[in-house]
Amino acid sequence: MTVLGGIGFTAPWLLLGLLALPVLWIILRAVPPAPIRRRFPGVALLLGLRDDETVTDRTPWWLLLLRMLAVAAMIVGLAGPVLNPTVNRDGNGPLLIVLDGTWAGAGHWGDKIGLIQSQLQEAGRAGRPVGILQLTAPEPVSFQAANAAASRLPGLKPMPWSPSDAMIDRATEALAAVEGDFDTHWFGDGLAYDGRDTLIAALQERGTVSAYQTQAEVLGLGPASFEDNAIQLTARRSVGGPERTVDIIAQGRDPAGNTRVLAQVPAAFESGATETTAALSLPAELRARITRFELRGLRSAGALSMTDDALRRREVALIAGRDDREGLELLSPLHYLEQALAPSADLLTGALGDLLPANPDVVVLADIATLSPAESDALAEWIDGGGMLLRFAGPRLAASDVSRDEEDPLMPVRLRAGGRSVGGAMSWGEPKMLAPFAEESPFYGLPVPEDVTVTAQVMAQPDPNLANRVIASLSDGTPLVTRKAIGQGQVVLFHVTANAEWSSLPLSGLFVEMLERLAVSSAAKRPSAADLEGTTWTPVQVMDGFGTLSDAGTLPGVAGPALADAPVGPDLQPGLYRSGDRRLARNVLTADTTLAPAAWPASIPVTGLAVAAEWPLGGALLVLALALLVGDIVASLALSGRLSPAGAGTTAAIALAAVMAMPQAAQAQDDPEDFALAATSELVLAHVITGNPQVDDIALAGLRGLADTLYFRTSVEPSLPMSINLETDELAFFPLLYWPVTPDQPIPSDEAYAKLNAYLRSGGMILFDTRDADVSRFGAASPTGRKLQQLAAPLDIPPLEPLPSDHVLTRTFYLLQDFPGRHAGREVWVEAAPPDAEQIEGMPFRNLNDGVTPVVIGGNDWAAAWAVDREGRALLPVGRGFSGERQRELAFRFGVNLVMHVLTGNYKSDQVHVPALLDRLGQ
Amino acid sequence: MTPDTALRHSAEAEAARLPALLARAEHLAGTVLLGDHGRRRAGMGDDFWQYRPAQFGDSRRMIDHRRSAHGDQQFVREREWQIAQSVMLWVDQGASMRFASDPKTLGTKADRARLLGLAIAVLLVRGGERVGLTGTSLPPRRGNAQIMRLAQALVVDADADYAPPEHRAMLPHARAVFISDFLGDMAEVRLALTKAADRGVRGVVYQVLDPAEEQFPFRGRTIFESVGGSLRHETLKASDLRDRYLARLAERRDELAQLCRATGWQFGLHHTGDSAQSALLWLYRALDGGTA
Repeated sequence: MTVLGGIGFTAPWLLLGLLALPVLWIILRAVPPAPIRRRFPGVALLLGLRDDETVTDRTPWWLLLLRMLAVAAMIVGLAGPVLNPTVNRDGNGPLLIVLDGTWAGAGHWGDKIGLIQSQLQEAGRAGRPVGILQLTAPEPVSFQAANAAASRLPGLKPMPWSPSDAMIDRATEALAAVEGDFDTHWFGDGLAYDGRDTLIAALQERGTVSAYQTQAEVLGLGPASFEDNAIQLTARRSVGGPERTVDIIAQGRDPAGNTRVLAQVPAAFESGATETTAALSLPAELRARITRFELRGLRSAGALSMTDDALRRREVALIAGRDDREGLELLSPLHYLEQALAPSADLLTGALGDLLPANPDVVVLADIATLSPAESDALAEWIDGGGMLLRFAGPRLAASDVSRDEEDPLMPVRLRAGGRSVGGAMSWGEPKMLAPFAEESPFYGLPVPEDVTVTAQVMAQPDPNLANRVIASLSDGTPLVTRKAIGQGQVVLFHVTANAEWSSLPLSGLFVEMLERLAVSSAAKRPSAADLEGTTWTPVQVMDGFGTLSDAGTLPGVAGPALADAPVGPDLQPGLYRSGDRRLARNVLTADTTLAPAAWPASIPVTGLAVAAEWPLGGALLVLALALLVGDIVASLALSGRLSPAGAGTTAAIALAAVMAMPQAAQAQDDPEDFALAATSELVLAHVITGNPQVDDIALAGLRGLADTLYFRTSVEPSLPMSINLETDELAFFPLLYWPVTPDQPIPSDEAYAKLNAYLRSGGMILFDTRDADVSRFGAASPTGRKLQQLAAPLDIPPLEPLPSDHVLTRTFYLLQDFPGRHAGREVWVEAAPPDAEQIEGMPFRNLNDGVTPVVIGGNDWAAAWAVDREGRALLPVGRGFSGERQRELAFRFGVNLVMHVLTGNYKSDQVHVPALLDRLGQ
Repeated sequence: MTPDTALRHSAEAEAARLPALLARAEHLAGTVLLGDHGRRRAGMGDDFWQYRPAQFGDSRRMIDHRRSAHGDQQFVREREWQIAQSVMLWVDQGASMRFASDPKTLGTKADRARLLGLAIAVLLVRGGERVGLTGTSLPPRRGNAQIMRLAQALVVDADADYAPPEHRAMLPHARAVFISDFLGDMAEVRLALTKAADRGVRGVVYQVLDPAEEQFPFRGRTIFESVGGSLRHETLKASDLRDRYLARLAERRDELAQLCRATGWQFGLHHTGDSAQSALLWLYRALDGGTA
């Protein structure tokens, strides 16, 4: 690629074509525009007229210029110009890409990978093999084809640690294993670390080294500590640049459990300073919710600081027995506890009944033997929910019968009467020392001071499970501290007093450490390795190089001392660790980490990451040439008079006529609101539209007749009936649906069936009428019967039976035994009575007090019998003569009974009506 | 296609054009209310003039018995004296007339000229005049059949670019109407008009032009051709010619008007972009004015 003035050309020889432009100018200039032929009768008058001027037979200069520009743009465009051409600086040997791959580069990771990608492409074009070495996760270097190496790029991730010595060693070994020389591109993150210089020197021996590194400073956030009633936050940067303010945000869970920003504090770096602190004062409740601090807008593990117990001050309720020795502070049972806990915990004092509702983390009972039943119940419930009860022995406990014969729920062990005292003035023996803590004890690892002695204690009753509950014992094996888990909480008993009366334990530092281990208090300072001796911590959450937290999964546990002071690495990933109830965060930056900027030897060129991408210009130039040619066409037309306004209008007429075919929503129902009002202002009977106009008309007329009858005879006063489209109309407004069955009516859609089932379940009733009782009995024998089976199959219909003689339908208004319509078929089917319904001796009907049948099925063509015209005259004949009229009357009575049944349910089935009914029945 | 069917085909095509022209001409003529054309005196004619008492010397045959039966006196029915003029039309059939600058909105000059000619013929025939063509092809006659013949004669196109006015066989003291664009040779026009004036024929010279011929809206390098293709003129800058062309057109019009004044004719100008009805009215009044 040839570079001319910052623009590269892939085919530079084509540019010689520009030399032809002047020739083209002369040729084009001589050619006049082609004439137009016009028919014009007035030509007779034109004959003999001569042109005055002859200028316009030459192309005007601006048109020529337009054409020249078009041709020039085409020539240059075809020559393949490229803006920001990448120029190959290296030789042709193998290429090694070295990445720091630390958290400091996470913010620019995308740019970095993009740059590597482009370099891989270039190497691929040059046929150079490429190897990749990430120093934070060194692997043996293998030189591959560039596209094979490129496929590894998406797998590269920044690690939340810096290269350790071991990693540098491994990287050096990997490099030593490579044969031959190679060039190196080193993508640094801007932070210095040990062993970097030797590695650079080793690489320079093998070939040229060039460095790529962003110029931006690296920012990090140190662990948060709690001092002076405020959270102290430390932000650091690698370069002492100009003044800069960064925002530190505190994230945590709000009461609803959602992670959100709880607080925010600005931290201002002074000019030239690399460290700044910010204090954040928050209420204890809010402070306890904070899970992590972040530098706003930065995406790296170093800008993230997780919090642990250090910020969480536990609430400890201290309750002692009756304190009648006023003023003797050193003898107070709570004095040493208060001294031990005050720096790191919030202390609550008061009555147990008042303190428990505050839900403290720990309740300390110092030498309290008996509790009222209400108190002990409340305490037991609180422990069950995760509370920790810490009890201390004392004279009262020793003297009481608590947990003597059987284990008290609030005591970890049974106690022997009286306790014992050793090494006193009135006893034999020496005061007892503490035995070293057992491995499964939470105190394991704490050094046992020589000067802690115990002179008196309460004794635990030997029990099968005593051994499990002892977490500290004396040198003679007697339990000193016992513990029992209750629900999610626990009870811990120190078998000595909380003051120095029985032992010197409260006087020692061990006492404070034991309280810390029990998570009664949390250390105000970060625990040292010695503090964590003997503990094992399991990771809860770990972060990756971008600062994204993820579940630790099955990562192995970490020994306490390593957690305290080992550098983070693959074996100790930064994150949140827990041991029992204690939580400890391990962040990328520790309190004493400094961010030192990386220095490069003068022999290595350092390039920023922001390399402008190659930008081919050929396409744009060719488009420009086309546009100029189009302009030339227009200009030529205008010049030769062919571009008349009429012609322009014709051109403009070819415009986009995007006719928005707005689909007119078919207005099936006028207004749903009007429909609902019409259906609910009064009681409305309704029938289902079958699609057969004759049947529909008869059904509507029948319901009109039934409504009239109801109006005249009963207190039910329906308004005009309606026709219902199952697909579009709401069914819930109608107590009763009359559904005449025709053989050819369409099967309703699934949505309609869903509506129908909801209607049936919510108390609606459907009267199916097959209208064929004159020719067939109920069943599948007739076409309408078969259709009914199809229609009803998806419906939620209970088992049916022929209407029994004691069904409530026979007596809801009229006493009926036959239910004729236009046909006098006998069979009407309703929901079957429960199988256990039995007739009681002497009662005319069974006690069937439940439910309204959701369907009534028959074939008597009731609507035809009910049908009246607008004047109230019967539309269709029923039977013959008087008996026919009687049949019509019975049909109306059935309709009245049906509506009454729907509206009143089983009211008439109530046994209260039995005497009146018996009277009416004449029995 | 045999000559027979070809003839029939073209005949039908021609016949298809006739009713359209006729209908449009009738329609146009229907818009003009005919005024009195009688001599305002008793004489030979068709229209009733007056009843007068029978005088001595009237032949019995002249007595109008229907009027006379009303009473004892005898009446003679007199009719208005009407004489018919002979009007001769010349409508330019030359190729130059078959031009329309914008075929979508404007008709050709020939269409307009034929329409006007036939419409004035319809009016005149209704007024009882005899109408024919100049020359010997269709001498003036009266009656609706003559309208039909006129229409047939008018739709014939001529091949020549500029047709000279027909001035042969002019009836003395008749009236004449010349409709053309008068873009052809002026000598022929002068000859025809002077010859007509010699024979006592007076009439109307009606120039029909396309709007484009008045405006000359052309630019750029152009080759102008006559419709028949016999004349052509090439220019490199058409817009430059405009002024000189318009001057020549005005000059020609002046010459025509001058000629008309000299011979006692009337000169009118019409553009195809204007309404045909106003043109017909002008034409009719020009003729009527001459008649009265």
